[in-house]
Amino acid sequence: MEFGGIEREIHVEATPDVVYEVISTPEHLREWWPDEAELDPVPGATGVISFGDTKVMPLTVMEADPPRRLSFRWAYDRGEVATPANSLLVTFELIPSGSGTLLRFTETGFRERGWEAAALQERYRVHATRWDHLLPRLVGYLDRPVSRP
Amino acid sequence: MSTAIDDELWSAVGDPTRRRMLDLLLTNGGGTATTLSQQLPVTRQAVAKHLGVLDRVGLVHAKPSGRERLYEVDEAQLARAVAQLSSVGAAWDARLRRIKRIAETIQRSRKA
Repeated sequence: MEFGGIEREIHVEATPDVVYEVISTPEHLREWWPDEAELDPVPGATGVISFGDTKVMPLTVMEADPPRRLSFRWAYDRGEVATPANSLLVTFELIPSGSGTLLRFTETGFRERGWEAAALQERYRVHATRWDHLLPRLVGYLDRPVSRP
Repeated sequence: MSTAIDDELWSAVGDPTRRRMLDLLLTNGGGTATTLSQQLPVTRQAVAKHLGVLDRVGLVHAKPSGRERLYEVDEAQLARAVAQLSSVGAAWDARLRRIKRIAETIQRSRKA
């Protein structure tokens, strides 16, 4: 599997306008991802998504082109500015398809964040102490397909 | 396990300084905020804050050591964190299915 990112496509039997509304507005975000969302879906806007009472994660809108494209960066620390080095980039592309929409999803940034197998192997060479029993287990995980039971 | 906890764990290991700290703790067999800050280009306070994040998600455990706390890596939890790499895709699959269900419900209600 490619560790630089995740790519998915899903057909939705709804118009791009409706799909865009679902992926971009706080009231719908709450229905499919976090418990709470505060977000103004315009480029450069910073919002937050939260899970439970204690966990709040920032999110920065990169592109907002309704009803065609929405991208944002997330998974960086609060108080930091989102960059390719400290965050993951999520992109939704909406392509009209019949009476519905082909929703194309990508999440990238794993490579930049150093979690690809090569980086783990390099660490193994540098710190060959206790990784020697841990790494084979990690590589086993990395080689597994994305899906899990 | 809940998605929220997974995301938090993922965020904890996503930071380069925290990963470096995990490396050092594994290599040295443990460490304190002071010993770690001596090996990293960040302050002791910053290290203590990162240790707090790692502690909250169970990646490290602390025990008292003199005036400081001695941290050790929980290797089972670290292995689980790396396993998250393969489950991130599955988490998004579930979210995309929810997006599909919600959008199709809205579409049907607007047609009706």
